[in-house]
Amino acid sequence: MSVALAARLIDVLGGLLLFTMLLILAAGQVFRAIYAVAAQAVFLGIAGAVLAAATGNVDLWIIAFITIVAKAIVLPWLLIRVVRRVQISREIEPVIPVHLTLTLAAGIVVLAFHLNASLGPVRQTVTGNALPVGVTLILIGVLVMASRRKALVQMVGLFASENGIFFTAMAISQGMPLIIEIGVILDVVLGALVMGILVLRVRSSVDTDIADLESLKG
Amino acid sequence: MTSHLLWITPLVPFAVGLAMLLVRDRRVQTALDVGGSLAVLGLALAVARAVTDHGAVTALGVFRADALAVVFLLLVGLLAVAVSIATVGWMRREVARGEIRAERVRFYFALVHGFVATMVVTVLADNLGILWIAMEGTTITSALLVGFHGDKHGLEAAWKYIIVTTIGISFGLFGTVLFYGAAVHAQGGVFAGAMNWSSIAAIAHRLDPGIIRIGFIFVMVGYGTKAGLAPVHMWLPDAHSQAPTPVSALLSGALIKCALFGIIRFHAIARDACGPEFSHGLLLVFGLVSIVVATPFIIVQHDLKRLLGYHSVEHVGIIALGLGFGGRLGTYGALLHVVNHGVTKALVFLVAGDAIGRYGTRDMRLMKGFLGVAPIAGTLLLLGAFSLAGTPPFSIFVSELIVIRAGLAGGRFVAVAVFLAMVVVIFAGLIHHVGQLAFGTADGTVERGREPLSPLVALVLLAVVMVLFGVWIPVNPDRVLSAATEIVVG
Repeated sequence: MSVALAARLIDVLGGLLLFTMLLILAAGQVFRAIYAVAAQAVFLGIAGAVLAAATGNVDLWIIAFITIVAKAIVLPWLLIRVVRRVQISREIEPVIPVHLTLTLAAGIVVLAFHLNASLGPVRQTVTGNALPVGVTLILIGVLVMASRRKALVQMVGLFASENGIFFTAMAISQGMPLIIEIGVILDVVLGALVMGILVLRVRSSVDTDIADLESLKG
Repeated sequence: MTSHLLWITPLVPFAVGLAMLLVRDRRVQTALDVGGSLAVLGLALAVARAVTDHGAVTALGVFRADALAVVFLLLVGLLAVAVSIATVGWMRREVARGEIRAERVRFYFALVHGFVATMVVTVLADNLGILWIAMEGTTITSALLVGFHGDKHGLEAAWKYIIVTTIGISFGLFGTVLFYGAAVHAQGGVFAGAMNWSSIAAIAHRLDPGIIRIGFIFVMVGYGTKAGLAPVHMWLPDAHSQAPTPVSALLSGALIKCALFGIIRFHAIARDACGPEFSHGLLLVFGLVSIVVATPFIIVQHDLKRLLGYHSVEHVGIIALGLGFGGRLGTYGALLHVVNHGVTKALVFLVAGDAIGRYGTRDMRLMKGFLGVAPIAGTLLLLGAFSLAGTPPFSIFVSELIVIRAGLAGGRFVAVAVFLAMVVVIFAGLIHHVGQLAFGTADGTVERGREPLSPLVALVLLAVVMVLFGVWIPVNPDRVLSAATEIVVG
């Protein structure tokens, strides 16, 4: 695969990542957000495969495979299990109205691409527009977490943010060293497990969502 | 031989943590806990010796101990020992009162040693990816500890803690990726150890300043969240106040310092890549904002442990301020403050834990006459509080003075003025709170039992270091701190 074609494909996949991010942001129901973040992880895995084919780096094939297994299968499965176990209202009530968050998201996209344009020759290290797409995903992920009072949706926002980091990391100079990627993914999965435990422990003692507790103040 | 030390040091607490899972006998657990922590301190001292004798030591291409790492490693080791000693008495009381079920004690100890192990890896990491993985590992282990009691408040604090610091620290990962990308670009391709701090720092002046600038902002926000710098500190007072007290001491004394260690590593690269003004300015702003934001919360606080939590925000701010003033003086002051605040804050948290255990509440309005209830611990609480407030002859006074001198030498008069104003206000607030707690007469419900060796031994150990560093900094620590300063200043 030629480098130019890879850059075009990465841009297409970057667009799909942004699209799934908007689906998460606009999701009115927990399951939809989970499916959207799973789809995002699949696109991320495909991006890894494209870069692997373009650069001939075997490590990237492994990273693409692990990404799909861990982030498109294991994590969504874990999230769905937790949702089924807690059985509280699955509707997402945003703290800020959805149209306002979407406007903010648009602002983030513009900002990220503007930031990218200000960079010098170092941009060549990054394939396509992976850098501004990565920045956008991270910031919109934070927006999702800040504007939703549901533990599961906050977790989805977190994973979407991390997808952005992985995307940029893959596109920068053939990705991080394999052992580091594996360590990072392991941290993500372990972190998700601990979050799941906390959600279930709260659910077993009080009848609320852990993200909705607000007794600690001042 | 010395390079083996670097991977044995984190391995020991990991192994102790795993072994804990198999042990059900309380006496064996205690022995393993204290012994494991002593082993970490012993190994830390051995690493320190090797580094002062032979300079930086590396191992396996991912670990590296230099003077800077040694400062933080010794702090982690010392606090681990103090906390383990204090845990003996604390755990006896918790189990006796049914706060922790006896069969769950082994999980508590396993998590604590896992937590210490991840902190040790953090400060010994040369590879910036390993540094990040270990840092996130500290969150995973300590979040379970924060919510260990399983009550509503503890779980709420644990949730806020894990969700805020995980998203925060992922900013740090993004910054790491950008630094790595810049290094690979500068070298024209992936090279051996391309992610190692030592190799990136060696070519720092050739890195693209634009991308390093963006990367450092992400690192500052990311590791800054974990360090408890305002305005991304909102998880800290909750987590530090709701965690079991020995864990609070580790979180406030050691963990937030490890996050600062990460910032310092990146700062050393950013300074060479895009000039000192940029990272100094960022550190200065974060530091000053932290001090200012913490002040009103310290004044109006009634919850003893929340008070100490906000105090940590202030002191992390002072460290960032010292780094932001820069130069040899500012950096030395900041690193000295890392040690001084770590030791003092652990001391005060452990005394506070004893007081809370005796009074059965954390509301300072209901706690009176602690000096009469527990004369030795009460005295140490007063000493620790005066030290925290920045009174001579205690250690924090010395490091704050050095930071202020660095600010004046650098002509940052406004920043110094704001800092001094806040310190005066905080002094008044803290002495008022602690005075209420120490003096007066306690009512009849307070537990007045004699003061047991645990936590007293731990408290005295920390107090000795606190006073010693205030009066005269011994030659060896001074040499390590000076060498560490050289690494940061370049």
